[in-house]
Amino acid sequence: MNWSIWLPPLVVASSLLPGLIIFFLAEKKVFLRTVLNLTGALAKLLLTGWMLWGVYHGYQYETNVSFLPGLELVLRADPLSLLFVSLSSILWLLTTIYAIGYLEGAPHRSRFFGFFSLCVTSTTGIALSGNFITFLLFYELLTLVTYPLVIHRGTEKARQAGKIYLIYTLSSGALLLLGTMWLYTITGTLDFRPQGILRDLGDENHLALIVIFVLLIAGLGVKAALVPLHGWLPQAMVAPAPVSALLHAVAVVKAGAFGIVRVVYDIFGVDFAAELGVTGPLAVVAAVTIIYGSLRALFQDNLKRRLAFSTVSQVSYIILGVAIAGPVASIGGIVHLVHQGLMKITLFFCAGNLAETLGVHKIREMNGAGRRMPWSMAAFTIGAFGMIGTPPIAGFISKWYLGLGALEAGQYWVISVLIGSSLLNAAYFLPVLHRIWFREPPHAWPAERNFGNKETAWALLLPPVVTALLALLAGLMASAWFSPLGWVQFIAQREF
Amino acid sequence: MNTLSPDGLLLLGILWPLLLTFLLASRVLRAPALYLAPWAALPALAASLLVAPSEMRWYFSDILLGSEIGLDATGQALLLLAALLWLVSGIYARAYLSRSTRCTEFYTFFLLSMAGNFGLIMVQDLIGFYFCFALMNFAAYGLVVFDRSTAALRAGQVYITMVVAGELLLFVALLIAAEITSATTFDTLRADLALVDPVSRNWVILLGVAGFGIKAGVFGLHVWLPLAYPAAPAPASAVLAGTMINAGLLGWLQLLPLGEIPLPGWGVITIILGLTGAFYGVAVGLTQREPKVLLAYSSISQMGVITMALGLGMLVPDAWPLILPVIVFYALHHGLSKGALFLGVDLAGYTNRTQRRWIWLGIWLPALALAGAPWTSGMLAKQLLKTTTLYAPLPWDSLLPLLLSFSAFTTALLMVRLLYLVRPDAQPSGVTPAAGLISPWLILLLTILLVPGWLAFLMPDLETGTISVDESLWPIVIALIIAWAVLRLGMFRKIPPLPAGDVLVLMERSLRLLYALGNGLISLIYRWQKWQIWLEACFIDRLMAAKERIQKMEDNFARWEVAILFVVIIALCMGVIARAYCCV
Repeated sequence: MNWSIWLPPLVVASSLLPGLIIFFLAEKKVFLRTVLNLTGALAKLLLTGWMLWGVYHGYQYETNVSFLPGLELVLRADPLSLLFVSLSSILWLLTTIYAIGYLEGAPHRSRFFGFFSLCVTSTTGIALSGNFITFLLFYELLTLVTYPLVIHRGTEKARQAGKIYLIYTLSSGALLLLGTMWLYTITGTLDFRPQGILRDLGDENHLALIVIFVLLIAGLGVKAALVPLHGWLPQAMVAPAPVSALLHAVAVVKAGAFGIVRVVYDIFGVDFAAELGVTGPLAVVAAVTIIYGSLRALFQDNLKRRLAFSTVSQVSYIILGVAIAGPVASIGGIVHLVHQGLMKITLFFCAGNLAETLGVHKIREMNGAGRRMPWSMAAFTIGAFGMIGTPPIAGFISKWYLGLGALEAGQYWVISVLIGSSLLNAAYFLPVLHRIWFREPPHAWPAERNFGNKETAWALLLPPVVTALLALLAGLMASAWFSPLGWVQFIAQREF
Repeated sequence: MNTLSPDGLLLLGILWPLLLTFLLASRVLRAPALYLAPWAALPALAASLLVAPSEMRWYFSDILLGSEIGLDATGQALLLLAALLWLVSGIYARAYLSRSTRCTEFYTFFLLSMAGNFGLIMVQDLIGFYFCFALMNFAAYGLVVFDRSTAALRAGQVYITMVVAGELLLFVALLIAAEITSATTFDTLRADLALVDPVSRNWVILLGVAGFGIKAGVFGLHVWLPLAYPAAPAPASAVLAGTMINAGLLGWLQLLPLGEIPLPGWGVITIILGLTGAFYGVAVGLTQREPKVLLAYSSISQMGVITMALGLGMLVPDAWPLILPVIVFYALHHGLSKGALFLGVDLAGYTNRTQRRWIWLGIWLPALALAGAPWTSGMLAKQLLKTTTLYAPLPWDSLLPLLLSFSAFTTALLMVRLLYLVRPDAQPSGVTPAAGLISPWLILLLTILLVPGWLAFLMPDLETGTISVDESLWPIVIALIIAWAVLRLGMFRKIPPLPAGDVLVLMERSLRLLYALGNGLISLIYRWQKWQIWLEACFIDRLMAAKERIQKMEDNFARWEVAILFVVIIALCMGVIARAYCCV
């Protein structure tokens, strides 16, 4: 049996199959559902590890299926896709554990976990796509399967959020499709290749290519929450915490950012994009998003809303790193794909823990939470300091490389964006930390649940602690061979 | 057994307090960890005494972006100071908090800060240093606000703002330094900084001087000191003022290309900054009535003297090998004395007169040392510093000794003022002395007597031959005479104390103005939004009206009479047009 053909589809199937089966499970079969979920997640993790090992040693994993005449569906494991697959499979496992604890006893769990698995399936598909048409397919699938998760609670607010989400993502999908078709008419191929597929095109196409770039970025920018296309994201935080965690750290937002990385690197090619003059404006858009998101976050009292605006800001670090168009900056940008995921998922898990255990949703209710839930809040602290960019947490490494890359490329204004963003991050995270650790807790929490002598259920506590540790390790051991940074340096060698 | 080798001892010095912090977090191991916490600085102390200073480095390729630890002579002296003060303060804190239920909280922040402080002395790479610096500074916030009083919370707010500002300045400084030299460790960085183009270098120096200057209490950036020191519990103030302040100094020594190239412009600026701080600190400090605030201003003044010496080193790089040990010695002397003063002042609490008198006499020792009285570490430090000014270029070589003597005199005045404020029949302030509080303090006093002299012997670079006793005697004598006269004549009683944080008050006022402006802007935007809504409402009204009218018209059109009318009109028009064409 030739594993190199089968591995990529297997990785996708490892979440697709459990997802499809779970749809048909009765609500009461908790055990079977849990087993299916965890088996799928572990299998995906294992297969991903296998592919990581293989790609590191120079093996190729690729699967082709013909789709339309002249167009193939391609699943290919290259270093960049594996970075995203690893992130999503690790965080999927943890989020699944978290969701099992979070939704214990809640209605419609089969539906939830079914769509949850499909969501990860499409994310994996997006990551492994070897050409743009495959990417597009999974990208639209992601839109459709996330919608039921956003409106899972079924409240008026949730449905409203879902509607906004659909309007934004579907219209962006149309733009994306338009851009892709136009691109196809010019190039005749949609393959992802290192250094892009457009280098050999003549000058007469440049105007069209600029328009295509704008179309593609506008299409992808909705999911990546680029200002002014970010409107749906803060609305979507009404979804249950595990969904928010997944939306913000792994699936939707990251899919948009990953798509932009793919477009810039593997469709246009960094050098060609810089030559077209499109990276400069993209960097400006990213910078505006970074500052605007942080500014909005500053004025939110709802914890999840503040975190949502923080995502708007932080995800654009990735795009900024790509748009600076230099090797060092792109290391900073791409590694932030992982780093932001680890830190943000920690923060959302902790926000969920506060809501589930104490009924705390607002920042002004968080006084003294550190005394009641020390472990969760310690994890939150690590995540928050990481967002500010304090060493040794992962966020610092991203910021350091972004800064170095900006200096290397002579784009000094980026430094002021980084500093401004760090300052704002400090301004909206440190007061929260002060409340958590240095204020007196209230006499009674809004809606406290009792977990004996533990601070909360273990399924809720374990995931944030693990992700916080991972975020810490990703920074502290940044030069180790197993760190995200090491892998991203491997990717950057390929592109530059 | 790698961990028992001297190198391992260094690592243990950093890791042991961190490990204890983790143990404090677990419910089972909390009690033994609390028992061990006061002694957490012991491995670092052992390291500072046992590890021979060398250029040897221990490299960790996996940590951060490649980390190195090592201990040179500067590091050894500062580590000795840090370890001693953390140890004494840790033991002091045990008795200080004996009635508190929040020991765990205190020691958590205490240990984290300690680990950061030890780490930044040992770590030799940029990012490792930055990490330890951040760890120390952020953890110390927990110590500053420990009391939760209004003053402590305000101090904490100012402190954390300055910390974040410092962190960001340093981030950019280190970023630029790393980019232009591609160095990862400080020694290669310093050497390379001398070679790069002056514009980038000036940026690094500017940001570095300012970023570390916040920690070192440089004039203009000192506002947090007089708030934070008095607000923190006494053992925390002792380490804040005694050793953490030196982190800023060490940062300068590590980052700036001192002794590599002459930096005349920066030298003059730094000397002036230092001297301003030295005299400004005393001037504001003299007006204070709260002993701990006074001590904070004294720190600003003393760090000003050190800053001046640093500026001298920038002016004359050739003399740097001689200036460096003097600076380090001065920092050591100042740290030990300041730590002892903070603890001593805290001991002036409710007790009987005899005990207070003894404690008061004990405070004399570090006070005299700080003033540079004969046969104290202060005399050594100040005289050594004066000898280095011989190397200064023209205007400075005659000016600096004079100013230094004057600074010694003003420091003596400040110390007399302090001794007056904590005199035995003054209002009690601080805690009631107990054996657990007094014994660590006595150890510290003993160290002040012995260690500096012993160290001066050990440091071969110090020129101890030219010390004269009379020269250090007269500032003290004059200060005492003036104090006696002032006390006798009852002068200056009416001068109100300047608010702690002095210029901060001004800054806050301007901030308030900015805030008001911002508020105005927000309300303007808000009003604009309201106006917009009103506009939209009007527009919608009009729109609705128009719609109705159109609907009515539509209805009219639907009537058959109108339809026929239209047909007729159109037919007529067509007829007219047709005729017009025909005629042509």
